[in-house]
Amino acid sequence: MRTADRLVVRTLRHSGPWLYVLVFTSLAGSLGELALPYVLGRTVDTLVAAGPASRTWLVTCGSVVVLIALCDILGVWAAGGGGARATRWLRLRILRHVLGVGPAMTRRFPEGDLVTRMGVNADETGRGPESIVTGAALLVPTLGGLVALVLIDVWLALTLVAGLVLIALVLRAFLSTTTSLAGDYQRTQADIAARLVDALSGARTIAAAGTEERERARVLDALPRLRAHAMDMWRTNAQAGVRAGAVVPLLEVAVLGVGGLRLAAGDLTAGELYAAARYVVLGAGLGAALGHVARLARARAAAGRLAELTEVPVTAHGGLPLPEGPGTLELRGVSAGVLSGIDLVVPGGSSVAVVGRSGAGKSRLAALAGRLADPEAGRVSLDGVPLPDLSAEALGAAVGYAFERPVLPGETISDAIGLGVADADDRESTVRAAARAACADGFVRRLPLGYGTPLREAPMSGGERQRLGLARAFAHGRRLLVLDDATSSLDTVTERQVSRALAGELRGRTRLIVAHRAATAAAADLVVWLEEGRMRACDTHARLWRDPAYRAVFQAQETVRAGTS
Amino acid sequence: MRAVGGGPVRGALLREPRLLLRLCAWSVAETAPALLVGLAVARAIDDGFAAGRVWTGFAWLAVLGGAWLVAAVGARQVVLTVGAIVEPFREDLLGHVVGGALRRSAATGNGPGTAAVARANLQVELARDALASVITVVRSFAFTVVSVMLGLGALAPEVLVLVLPPFVAGLCLFLVSLPALARRQREFILTDERTAESLADMAGALRDITACRAERRVADDLGRQVRLQERAGRALAGVTALRTASLAVGGWLPVLLILVGTPWLVRGGAGAGVILGALVYVTQSLAPALGNLVQGLGMSGVKLRVSLERVLRHGAPPLPAVERRTPEDAGVRLRGVRFAYGPHAEPVISGLDLSIGDGDHVAVVGPSGIGKSTLAALVTGVLTPDAGEVLVGGVPAELLDPASRVLIPQEAYVFRGTLLENLTYLAEAPAEAVEEAVAAVGLTALVTRLGGCSAEVDPGLLSPGERQLVALARAYLSPARLVILDEATCHLDPAAEAVAEEAFARRGGTLLVVAHRLTSARRAGRILVMDGTDVRLGTHDELLASCPPYAELAGHWNPAETQELVP
Repeated sequence: MRTADRLVVRTLRHSGPWLYVLVFTSLAGSLGELALPYVLGRTVDTLVAAGPASRTWLVTCGSVVVLIALCDILGVWAAGGGGARATRWLRLRILRHVLGVGPAMTRRFPEGDLVTRMGVNADETGRGPESIVTGAALLVPTLGGLVALVLIDVWLALTLVAGLVLIALVLRAFLSTTTSLAGDYQRTQADIAARLVDALSGARTIAAAGTEERERARVLDALPRLRAHAMDMWRTNAQAGVRAGAVVPLLEVAVLGVGGLRLAAGDLTAGELYAAARYVVLGAGLGAALGHVARLARARAAAGRLAELTEVPVTAHGGLPLPEGPGTLELRGVSAGVLSGIDLVVPGGSSVAVVGRSGAGKSRLAALAGRLADPEAGRVSLDGVPLPDLSAEALGAAVGYAFERPVLPGETISDAIGLGVADADDRESTVRAAARAACADGFVRRLPLGYGTPLREAPMSGGERQRLGLARAFAHGRRLLVLDDATSSLDTVTERQVSRALAGELRGRTRLIVAHRAATAAAADLVVWLEEGRMRACDTHARLWRDPAYRAVFQAQETVRAGTS
Repeated sequence: MRAVGGGPVRGALLREPRLLLRLCAWSVAETAPALLVGLAVARAIDDGFAAGRVWTGFAWLAVLGGAWLVAAVGARQVVLTVGAIVEPFREDLLGHVVGGALRRSAATGNGPGTAAVARANLQVELARDALASVITVVRSFAFTVVSVMLGLGALAPEVLVLVLPPFVAGLCLFLVSLPALARRQREFILTDERTAESLADMAGALRDITACRAERRVADDLGRQVRLQERAGRALAGVTALRTASLAVGGWLPVLLILVGTPWLVRGGAGAGVILGALVYVTQSLAPALGNLVQGLGMSGVKLRVSLERVLRHGAPPLPAVERRTPEDAGVRLRGVRFAYGPHAEPVISGLDLSIGDGDHVAVVGPSGIGKSTLAALVTGVLTPDAGEVLVGGVPAELLDPASRVLIPQEAYVFRGTLLENLTYLAEAPAEAVEEAVAAVGLTALVTRLGGCSAEVDPGLLSPGERQLVALARAYLSPARLVILDEATCHLDPAAEAVAEEAFARRGGTLLVVAHRLTSARRAGRILVMDGTDVRLGTHDELLASCPPYAELAGHWNPAETQELVP
């Protein structure tokens, strides 16, 4: 069985008792619906004729109606409850898996794609059981209705089939016209949105010039065009909907006419005529029933997309704590991506700068050092313990990462800095000390609610975000700090202050710094110079600086920066 | 709906009473079958086929078929009329979103992001669709019920006694459960959105979550959210079942009562046709209308309300009109100015006194995030100080006539339109003046490349530096005597920056430059150094000697002095 189907089945099982209720009510309900027109017709016939069995028929008819109503009520309840339960199980499983895999997941799947899989696809798969059951159950009255009609009169059935074909044609014509109309409409909408985005990027200019109302008029310039396109769509909508809507009632009238002739001839009772008319309506529901098959196919496809996520292996952590030690980082024969054969020992408490042209493997090296990624070959260890043997808690307390563009999960500023820091009495003071070292304390305290300011309400520049990212790293990495181009957006003065903190109060920690500026490399104890994935040299900045090729690394960086700024 | 959306919805309905009348007229046509269907079936059977008068039977069926055709025409007109009612409603909401976004970004200097705008647009679409569906459903219900009652009355008035009580009971049951239903539906929509948002946040932060080893904490938080969603889903299923129950009472109970009452009706002279006709009325018109109402109000009504709340939240009240005043000259005076971004925040600027004479050229320097742009916004009057006053030519900055000063921020604003429209955005200008301004700030190369001032510009195709040059030429053309350049030349190379700044110095008037490079600061007569709330004003040489932060800044502005202050 394919993984996707297995996932659908497991989801089905996790709907719990709801599923059985749904299966039973759907089946019983649809059988009731199929029986009703016939039973109703016969009941009316016997009641009007005051036949001897009229009481029995009345009771039967009443039971069928009550059965249908009860099944309907219970079925709606069970479908909703079971779907909610199955979706919860599925979603928890997927999100734990995604978190367990970590950043390797975003390397495999683009972020937007990942969100769609965890959100919409999980929903579709979670509703899979409901689709299967309801779809299957819907086939009973529709197909049964057609069979019943054939049994009553073959010509009535043929009339119905002709009508169904007509509806299908109308719907197809409708779909082809709307896509082109919708295209015009969406283009006009996009035009308005683009103008608004332009205007918002000029917010300060507009505010200073006092031209808000003029800008509003300019953005909404295309409204008449939008309305014209929208009315076109309403028109198509009206036409096709009406055509499709009129077909079934007209079919019913035709069936009543043909049936009326049979009634006049005495071949049909009035009740049977009524039943035939109702079976037309039931049979016309075939399209809707087939729609459920499409939903099932969608659920299966969605499950397939989820199964692709679960096939990526989770990062396993060992259970070892970190022994006492200075924070010596050791890479032995490490290869990963572009990197190959890296042997490097960073003595505990020292600072090492990693330099090289873009694409040389600097960020990959940084990712390996604190186990954001595992090497394909070789071993990375901290104070003698291979990183995969360490527990997640030990790693979290020992290693701190700061990035060029940090993403800051958490509710408030304080939350974001202390993310993953164990809840303890000194948590808040750890957070503030880290913020001070990262030169973030000043601007945080100028925010509306200081450290309690919700992140969503704190618009920040790139430099300010970097400072929060640094603070977060400082709050974590008691033994090793990995700074991956983490000071690139800081102005020169602030960067110097951060460097002072790194050389001062954070002195005892081992520091691995991916650097683009010569000044940063100069401040480090040692420089690792990467070239096309290999370590070209490992020496002090001063000695390396004599090599023109080394100097060229920084010149190239400066030019790139000037070009992009 | 009354609380949040009453205004726009009522406005949309009452804007053109003519449309409402048209809607009602076509609704009558659309519900013609609801009036005739049972009657036609009953007569076709009783007077026609069952009585052996086949042609009478066909005549009644022809009447019914005709009614369906009339209904088809009516339905088409109804859809078009509903469209004509909801499209202006959508335009109102869109105008509200656009105006609100612009005003809010104007007021705070940083408005909602593009993602927020896209979401607001989506909500507008949803609100329009929901309103269309609510109008359709409620109207159809009302007309169908009246038609059915009239039809039943004509067929056999005594049937009404059997049909009306359970139908009204079902309707009441639904109306009673509506508030709870709406609440649950709303909770469900909101938790669903929150879950989607949290998942998106998580996916975007995977690297950082792993780096902080916060997987368990994040999984717990998300797990709580997912469980909340499950609970909301279950609660919704419960009330939906209740809703279905009200349908059963209102739709199925009349059927049973008609059957139970059949012997009584037959004794009163009714034939099989009358009984079947009554059943047709109930099963084919009344029950579906009730079902649509229940579904429509329970879902679309709630969706309308939720989206309207979103849309209206994105709005902002229009700025109060103030009387703008023309200043005596372009001198700037700040006295005891204090400004903070919130009541609990530390001030960005505190106790600032500053005097810039008419025609002076002053540069502002300091590390990023220290409040240079805040100062520029205060002088422009976009922000108002918490304490103290900012005067331009004797007029409080926030009351200043916008034409008397111009601010160019770092992010230059260029919009889709011709280059000339962009250049004369602040003030009309004759062609010679435009040419002179283009030459003065160094925009000639771009004008030539685009093929003249009447060429269309797409801001996305200009480099940041070119956009800044357009903004500079625009400011140059304005009549304003006070020019504030807030890092307005940061994307230009040092030579182009010199050309532009020298042009403004020649242009006359007061020039306040938030400097990006030391060269830019040195062109000014005096330099304002901001370092925390400590602020110093002096010439380059004075500051080198007396102001250590400035000396430090200047010391790091090497080797070529053109190095950027803020990379």
